[in-house]
Amino acid sequence: MEVLLQQLINGLSLGAIYALVALGYTMVYGIIELINFAHGDVYTLGTFFSLAILGLLGVSGELHGAQLVVVVVVTLFGAMMLCGFVGVIIERFAYRRLRNAPRLAPLITAIGVSFILENLMQLWRGPSPVPVPEIVPNPTFHLGGVELATKQLVVIALAIVMMLLLQVFIARTRIGKAMRATAQDREAAQLMGININTTIAVTFLVGSALAGVAGFVSGMYYGTTWFFNGFRAGLYAFTAAVLGGIGNVAGAMLGGFLIGLVQALTTQFISAEWNDVVVFSVLVLVLVFRPTGLLGEALPDRA
Amino acid sequence: MRTSARGLHHDSAYRSPVNRNRLWAALVASLAIFIATAMTACSNAPSSQGARTIKIGIDLPVSGADASTGIPTQNGAVLAIEDANARGVPGGFSFAVSALDDAVQGVHDPAQGAQNVKTLIADPSVLAILGPYNSNVAKAQIPLTNDAGIAQISPATTHTGLTQGDEARALRTTHPDVVAYFRVCTTNDHQGEEIAALARRLGYHRAFDIDDNETYGKGLADVFDRRFTAAGGSILGHEHLTRGQQDFKALLTKARSQRPDMVFFGGTTASGGGVLRKQMGDVGMARTPFFGGDGISDAQFIVDAGAVADGTYYTVAAADASKLPTARRFIAAYRRRWKSDVGPYSANAYAAAEVAVAAIEEAIRQAKGTMPERAAVLANVAATKGLDTPIGRIAFDRNGDTTNPILSAYEIQNGKPRFVTQLYYAR
Repeated sequence: MEVLLQQLINGLSLGAIYALVALGYTMVYGIIELINFAHGDVYTLGTFFSLAILGLLGVSGELHGAQLVVVVVVTLFGAMMLCGFVGVIIERFAYRRLRNAPRLAPLITAIGVSFILENLMQLWRGPSPVPVPEIVPNPTFHLGGVELATKQLVVIALAIVMMLLLQVFIARTRIGKAMRATAQDREAAQLMGININTTIAVTFLVGSALAGVAGFVSGMYYGTTWFFNGFRAGLYAFTAAVLGGIGNVAGAMLGGFLIGLVQALTTQFISAEWNDVVVFSVLVLVLVFRPTGLLGEALPDRA
Repeated sequence: MRTSARGLHHDSAYRSPVNRNRLWAALVASLAIFIATAMTACSNAPSSQGARTIKIGIDLPVSGADASTGIPTQNGAVLAIEDANARGVPGGFSFAVSALDDAVQGVHDPAQGAQNVKTLIADPSVLAILGPYNSNVAKAQIPLTNDAGIAQISPATTHTGLTQGDEARALRTTHPDVVAYFRVCTTNDHQGEEIAALARRLGYHRAFDIDDNETYGKGLADVFDRRFTAAGGSILGHEHLTRGQQDFKALLTKARSQRPDMVFFGGTTASGGGVLRKQMGDVGMARTPFFGGDGISDAQFIVDAGAVADGTYYTVAAADASKLPTARRFIAAYRRRWKSDVGPYSANAYAAAEVAVAAIEEAIRQAKGTMPERAAVLANVAATKGLDTPIGRIAFDRNGDTTNPILSAYEIQNGKPRFVTQLYYAR
């Protein structure tokens, strides 16, 4: 029983990172129907940016009190901004000109951008895993036989907060409204005076900033990263987005948590080497019975 | 409206002067590239086809996660070849190194290894190949070197089936009775047995086994299971990692629930050994000792594992060079040449290169100073007897395995490997 609870916690914290990355996939797909394969690498960039900022701040060990708060806020915000900037740049130079091209063209460009980012990161920080300083203290709470590491709780909480903020942003702000309009019908939105280019750029900015959050969180949580990390994480996050209903923000979140849980429970009750088989079988089953994903039809508009 | 705009664009594609300029630019650029290539080809020609140069090929992973062991291994081999040139090669020949990297995206890759060996085989001046580092890469290469009849000597691959039994016969696809693959290190049979014995000697009896599902890792873990059980211990579970995975917490939570007093890992640092050890700290297993084979013997393991690297035990299928009297000169020379410390397989690589050098020099003498045949070199490598190297006297048995198998065991203490014991096998 304790083991089961422990595995649920493990699964949720793993899923939280997938969910944060999946939000970016789903936002971009929702608005321009592009699978942004470079997104997983923007997530890895988030970890490297955090690492660089921590290096600039001269931080290498655990911090406490106000110092901790300041460093976390500065690093997180910095990583978000830098990732958001990278996302906007990618959209401007790699995708914008191909917006009306056949669908295969931007897809291939996305794969190309992914390779470019991976190789830039390899040149920047070398091809070996790089340790990330663990600045957040990690006391463990004991609840019965279950150990709750602070880091795990922070990861889960942060993912949920980010999703809620994103929901509010999309539902309540002017630019969110413009995003929804653009997702529904780009030409009609343009006719109504919405600046399509700005709206799509903002989508990339927000989605990539969320990848920056995920990158920071995964650096703190695992204490290590390497340039190729985003490939696999991106694949899972994309799967999460499809599972939850691509284009749907709550669905991406649900899909992320679900995949994390499925992985943890598969490891516990079957075997770790069956993880991929089970995850992708679940995906196939869901798509057979609900081709739009779990929440694909629950909401009228995408984005 | 959008379609008409696109149509307009299409029309202009063939007529506008802008595009004609682009065409010219492309032509000029390709001409420049052509000239540049031709010039490099010319400048390469004399050196690569210099009348009396014999090449020794090297295939090792020298970038990425494997680089921290691959580079010191390559350095050892290069040093041996430089030493041979300094001594003087019979017939007025000189040796050159043709070194290739089998790591792709930072991890050793069997397909790249096979491609590299094909490249080396295609070059007629390559008379012997050193490498690879990883057993799964070796599996992709052995059929090729067997087919080409070129001697291949590995400093570090330990999977038993590479040289022994039905698996080895199946790998020698073209000439099942010809052995072209040799190694100066011992096998996983010995390594697994010795780690199991060491763990039992230290008083551990409940092991959880994890491997990386690669040729080397799974082979070693299976041997460990058998030997540990035979020595009176029990294996509580045996799990496999998937390549590229980053989160091992669920796996380790499962392991912990079985209450093991040690964890064995069959695999390499590149396939996740160091990160696995690090996350043992996250699930409250920092004090549970971690055992592994030579796959985790590199400096990167300690970087990856961070604060919980201590309490890790591993073996290396090589002599601890600093303990071996014949190795002192080698270590001093290595430091002078490379300005760094030897890696776990540097001395083995030096020895492997010495085997190749001796066989080629003998073949030159047999050919009365003319360019020798690969077949003659291969025969000489197989007949190697009593060759003095930094890891002792080398000879090969009929499978291509060393007759002088040595293992060293280490423990990581305060973030540094500490030599525990050395084991010799006389067969």
